[in-house]
Amino acid sequence: MTRKYIALPQGVSEKDFDAAINNFRKVLSDDAVLTSAEQLAPYIKTMMPVPDADHTPSAALLATTVEQIQKIVAICNQYKVPIWMISTGKNLGYGSAAPAERGQVVLDLKRMNRILEVDKDLAFALVEPGVTYQQLYDYIKEHKLGLWLSMPAPSAIAGPVGNTLDRGVGYTPYGEHFLFACGMEVVLANGEVLRTGMGSMPNSNTWQVFKWGYGPYLDGIFTQSNYGIVTKFGFWLMPEPPAFKPFVIQYQHEEDIVEIVETIRPLRISGVIPNAVVIAHALYEAPVKAKRSDYVSGPGSIPDEAVYRIMKDHKLGIWNVYAALYGTQEQIDVNWKIVTQAFGQSGKAKILTEQEAAEDPAFVYRAKLMRGEMTLTEFSLYNWRGGGGSMWFAPVSQARGSETLKQMALTKQILAKYGLDYSGEFIVGMRDMHHIVDVLYDKTDPEQTKAAYQCFDELLTEFSARGYGTYRVNTAFMDKVAETYGPVQRKVHKTLKKALDPNGILAPGKSGIR
Amino acid sequence: MKKTRSGNYIVGCIIAIFFVAGNAWSAQDEKTTPGFAWKDGAEIYAKICAYCHDVQVGPPIRNRELPAAYIRAVVRNGRFAMPAFRAAEIDDESLTKLAEFISRRSTQP
Ligand SMILES: Cc1cc2nc3c(=O)[nH]c(=O)nc-3n(C[C@H](O)[C@H](O)[C@H](O)COP(=O)(O)OP(=O)(O)OC[C@H]3O[C@@H](n4cnc5c(N)ncnc54)[C@H](O)[C@@H]3O)c2cc1C
Ligand code: HEC
Repeated sequence: MTRKYIALPQGVSEKDFDAAINNFRKVLSDDAVLTSAEQLAPYIKTMMPVPDADHTPSAALLATTVEQIQKIVAICNQYKVPIWMISTGKNLGYGSAAPAERGQVVLDLKRMNRILEVDKDLAFALVEPGVTYQQLYDYIKEHKLGLWLSMPAPSAIAGPVGNTLDRGVGYTPYGEHFLFACGMEVVLANGEVLRTGMGSMPNSNTWQVFKWGYGPYLDGIFTQSNYGIVTKFGFWLMPEPPAFKPFVIQYQHEEDIVEIVETIRPLRISGVIPNAVVIAHALYEAPVKAKRSDYVSGPGSIPDEAVYRIMKDHKLGIWNVYAALYGTQEQIDVNWKIVTQAFGQSGKAKILTEQEAAEDPAFVYRAKLMRGEMTLTEFSLYNWRGGGGSMWFAPVSQARGSETLKQMALTKQILAKYGLDYSGEFIVGMRDMHHIVDVLYDKTDPEQTKAAYQCFDELLTEFSARGYGTYRVNTAFMDKVAETYGPVQRKVHKTLKKALDPNGILAPGKSGIR
Repeated sequence: MKKTRSGNYIVGCIIAIFFVAGNAWSAQDEKTTPGFAWKDGAEIYAKICAYCHDVQVGPPIRNRELPAAYIRAVVRNGRFAMPAFRAAEIDDESLTKLAEFISRRSTQP
């Protein structure tokens, strides 16, 4: 018997699925209901160390309007068909565009991509889910709005809605993206349309300027969640500053991370350095300039001695602190003095600005990220090992030197046990650090793939045992991470799920919620 | 009796407000521009592919007369460091134009 579908949703018969697909075809045009292996191929590639079959979708629906989505959820409720929502679908290293569970139907909102409003005076945007950062960037340039975006490293191909809904980060002063979100429109599982905050009030014009509305604040429950389908999203943009000064500070020893963090924290909390600073390890930056195979061959993680050679050959610190100053030239001059004095004290820091580093490809792409310019240079990371395997390990740390050193050492030790390299960085939040480690492995090598899986599992186990929680995780490990946050939170999540989506049709499994 | 009637009236008002609100929303939506569409192959190359293929994240692909079918297959399936691109991002027609643009031998470097 030839199979009609490449996968089926759990517990749904082919007959029922057929009926659901026929109904979807009545709502969307034929070319917007994808079921063939060829059409679904782009949804299948992930970088996770699990069989692609575990995350193969049964279909993809390319909806473009709220009304279509309302009809889709009605059909899903009728046939108990689960849908997995994506906006721009570039959640690379966290599960890409593939669903959490085999057989889920991807609701792909990429074609729902209108820029509804960008207000120059109040510096906010209201967009649909499929809008990319590139699209918005071009729009702002074309209309000379003088506003800057903050975006993650996959900039051009990702988008503000998906990134912020997964609570992603960028590198400008607006880098903690969800802090700058203001107002959502959400299609609920029962088909009702909720506008959060001031948006609930008819004829209100404050939806994108005042976050809280009246009563319990709801926006948060639609992030990293499966309680609704976000169809419009408001957020604040940064006015273009008159001057911008990016810089990098290099250190030579891994233990120096203590001094770095102790120096940065007061500057960051007081706002002298306003942006989401990155403290990148040499191995995070090396792939932009060097080839791993020029320094090591054979199995095992890269030895420290080779890392030092890379640093020397390619003018990298073991730690490379990327930050920037924004404002008028006078403001920058004053703050630059404070920064150089603070970092100059111990004599260990080497401070470089555009003057010295304008030709350095790592500096160039970091400077772009800090001013919201498009770049995909960071994808060099995947040429380091080759083979396309990657998972982001993303524990949260206090912005305290002793803590960052502890986390770095523990991560390195566990990675080494499995023969993997420490490609890590710390993204400095307001008082926290997102410790971001790209667990890179060769997905064409079954042994290394198995090792990567076990390694990631052990990282989560060991970190949570010490009270270090993960801020976000790929779709193969969502249950494991949910478990680390304890039973009460899980129960509350489940209670909300039951209330808002009793048939469990929206992204079952997201953040471990079913 | 009276009480129930005014109760119904209030419910009626709420429903009316709900619909008015719904209309206000869709009116606002209609004022805005239509969705995004690619102009041509060169635009897609510049706004996606070039960020990797012109900066040594990926190999050069222009001026190599790579077969169009091969280019389309790599774009849809992705390859190691290169993510896959869906028809929702680059529709089939635009992908055909893009593949032509890339495989065509141009006089420019
Ligand atoms: C080299 C590299 C560097 C990276 N750097 C960063 C970085 O600096 N910062 C960062 O944050 N990430 C980073 N990432 C991870 C990821 O690529 C980005 O976060 C990216 O923005 C996520 O993809 P997206 O924006 O297309 O969101 P999507 O894939 O569209 O959405 C992400 C998730 O949000 C949920 N979601 C999406 N849309 C909806 C909706 N309409 N309703 C309800 N739920 C929805 C779904 O769970 C979905 O899986 C990096 C990845 C790579 C490969
Ligand atoms: C994020 C970076 C990135 C982007 C964006 C990207 N590619 Fe690639 N591409 C790569 C890398 C890396 C390789 C090499 C993969 C490998 O290891 O074989 C590659 C390989 C290819 C190849 C095979 C080349 C050969 O020598 O056989 C083609 C064709 C290709 N890409 C086309 C495209 C097109 C067309 C686009 C734009 C729609 C695009 N790529 C966007 C990174 C990228």
